[in-house]
Amino acid sequence: MNVEITGLTRRFGRTTAVAGVDLRAGPGVFGLLGPNGAGKTSLLRVMATAIPPTSGRLRLLGRDPLGYGPRREIRRRLGYLPQNLGYYRGFTVAQFVEYFALLKEMPAGRIPLAVTAAVDRVGLGDRSGARLRTLSGGMLRRVGIAQAIVNEPDLLLLDEPTAGLDPEQRVAFRALLRDLGQRATIVVSTHLVEDVGAACAQVALMDRGKVIFQGTPGDLTARGEGHSTGDAPLERGYSAVLAAARP
Amino acid sequence: MTATKAPALSRPVARRPGLAALRLLRLELCHNAMLWIMPVAVALFWFTAARKTLGTPPLWNLRTAAMQPNAVLAFACPVAGAAAWMGSREHRRRTTDLVNITARPRPARLLATWAATTCWALVAYLACVAVVYAVTAQQATWGGPLWWPAAVAAATVPAIAALGFAAGTLVPGRFTAPLVALAAFFVLGLSTQPIHGSQSYWQISPIVAGAWDLGPNPEVGTFFAYQPDLAIAQVVFLAGLTAAVLGALVLPTGAGVRSLRRSALAVTAAGLLAAGTSVALAGTGRLDAHGIIAIPALHDSASDRPLRYTPVCSHTAIPVCLHPAYASYLPATAAALAPMLGQIAGLPGAPARISQVAATYQQGPDNSVSIGVTGSPTSGSSPVFRLLLPIQLLGPALTTSEMAGQVRSITGPSIMASVTGDGPDASQAQHAVTTALLMAAGVVPSHLPGPGNNVPPPGPSAGGGRYVALAPGSPAYAAARRFGALPAAVRRAWLTQHLAALRAGRIGLRQLP
Repeated sequence: MNVEITGLTRRFGRTTAVAGVDLRAGPGVFGLLGPNGAGKTSLLRVMATAIPPTSGRLRLLGRDPLGYGPRREIRRRLGYLPQNLGYYRGFTVAQFVEYFALLKEMPAGRIPLAVTAAVDRVGLGDRSGARLRTLSGGMLRRVGIAQAIVNEPDLLLLDEPTAGLDPEQRVAFRALLRDLGQRATIVVSTHLVEDVGAACAQVALMDRGKVIFQGTPGDLTARGEGHSTGDAPLERGYSAVLAAARP
Repeated sequence: MTATKAPALSRPVARRPGLAALRLLRLELCHNAMLWIMPVAVALFWFTAARKTLGTPPLWNLRTAAMQPNAVLAFACPVAGAAAWMGSREHRRRTTDLVNITARPRPARLLATWAATTCWALVAYLACVAVVYAVTAQQATWGGPLWWPAAVAAATVPAIAALGFAAGTLVPGRFTAPLVALAAFFVLGLSTQPIHGSQSYWQISPIVAGAWDLGPNPEVGTFFAYQPDLAIAQVVFLAGLTAAVLGALVLPTGAGVRSLRRSALAVTAAGLLAAGTSVALAGTGRLDAHGIIAIPALHDSASDRPLRYTPVCSHTAIPVCLHPAYASYLPATAAALAPMLGQIAGLPGAPARISQVAATYQQGPDNSVSIGVTGSPTSGSSPVFRLLLPIQLLGPALTTSEMAGQVRSITGPSIMASVTGDGPDASQAQHAVTTALLMAAGVVPSHLPGPGNNVPPPGPSAGGGRYVALAPGSPAYAAARRFGALPAAVRRAWLTQHLAALRAGRIGLRQLP
């Protein structure tokens, strides 16, 4: 298992963002669904080692990220796309991706090839020399995905990766996810259930800091039978689980 | 986006941290704010430091000493501002999460950004220094460049960059950079205010290039070897400050990493120790007789002796000899003195040579400093008049013609007075003869300082040789006019016969022809 989470809690002051989550994920695409404020981003940030858990046990890629050495090794094999991608406006696409390849301590000799490959995979090969300040929101999102996958991560954490992508790009992105998921663990946080249905083998639904459902997209669809809220079967399942979890 | 397989990265692969660090530095160099601020820094340097520096006489010591404080002030604002801007970049651009979860330690990332800022600042600074030194090399007639003042200013650049960067990192925000830039200027500018006398801890400020009350000292590097006591202390202080700031900056991020934390602590402690020691040493510095700040613990007494040089001399009736560093001033000086020297050449007691000497410095109470030549203005069996050029003294920078004017109106009368034995206690006849000789030399009274004033010569502070101006209409003035109007041969014959008696005060006004 690349991700093993047991009783993980994360608090910000008096607010409990993640409340005793248990989660296990192996290679493949894992969808993290939930309404706004459910705790998806906080859970992803903990998994990205951006913030430590308040309590609970976390093992990533077979290592405990609390220790500096293991954490550094995890980070070498980690890709992360935050919900709000910050970027340096003067960097070109290739430079930005190279910058993160260097920060991820990739072998220097492999970086040029890896950068080219990552930029190509997100469909920005012809814009690799463009400054980031000249790109559209969707293109910037793809740059963010490129920096996340440049090191061929074993654990890829994507927070709302399809936000800002046009339908054609979303389809291409799902294909990329399926491809990457053949060898790596990919956790995709999203509130777009169609993304989950198309790309994820496993899915978890969070609400108010807790995981209220974990299974396959098919399981989630089954929960929606007979439920009226939602246009698509998966959406009905999503709504049904949420409705059942709320008092 | 395509689902095609990227080239697989075979693991494990040998990592070359040096190459990766260089690539990171290259990226930072390409996207550093200092690169865009460089023209501003260079312009500030040109309009403040370079013009002031190149406006001083073409002496290496004056130019380099003038350049140090001006260059530091010119670069302080842009470097501090650019460094603060870069330090706050991750917060401003909201990449903190993204970069913090990468494997490369935060100190390495921050140091790369700081190093890129410092590199560009140093490139700009060194280019500016190269221009000033190249111009000076073409104009200077003696000696070579002094590197320590340039080194102090160069060491200031990384220190200011470190402080600015730390401020930007710790208090990130859009207004941090301009505030830090202003603060850097005012802190440096005000750092000399508490200096009282030579033994001040504040002399460690990098805008102090010597005895602060005196300004650039022309003696050092010409008559005496340059002693870098204060410069060494300043460089060590700045290096220590840089190390301490950078060490402290990366210290909190070492939490959980004992070895990294220990290293950062050691660097910070070593930096603080070096900086503190330097400040203490600067406090022991005192103004020595050559006008430099000598720090006993750093002073090299073996080098503390006059430099050898062959003076350059004029072909006037009495040769005027200057230090070769001042060779460009010889024609003007000789021309200013020539008419007066023609009046006294060959007279008994007249100097055989006018020779430029070094001034002697003495720190007085508070901030007062006396500068002059100790002893009589003339010395030796074959009398030599010891000359201090006005540009060797304190005061505003002089053009060559301004300096020649001062030599003519102040030094010339002093030379005349040294021959007649004139001075405040001399007889009216001595006053009259001195004035007559000056009139005969074409130095009309309007060129001279006001009547009744004792005009101190530029330098000699003891012994005879002080011209006392006469009030027009006084008996002595009338006698001077009468004596000065005599044919030169008559006047010379009388002086040859009576100069000894005149100097002894045995001749009265009525005895003058």
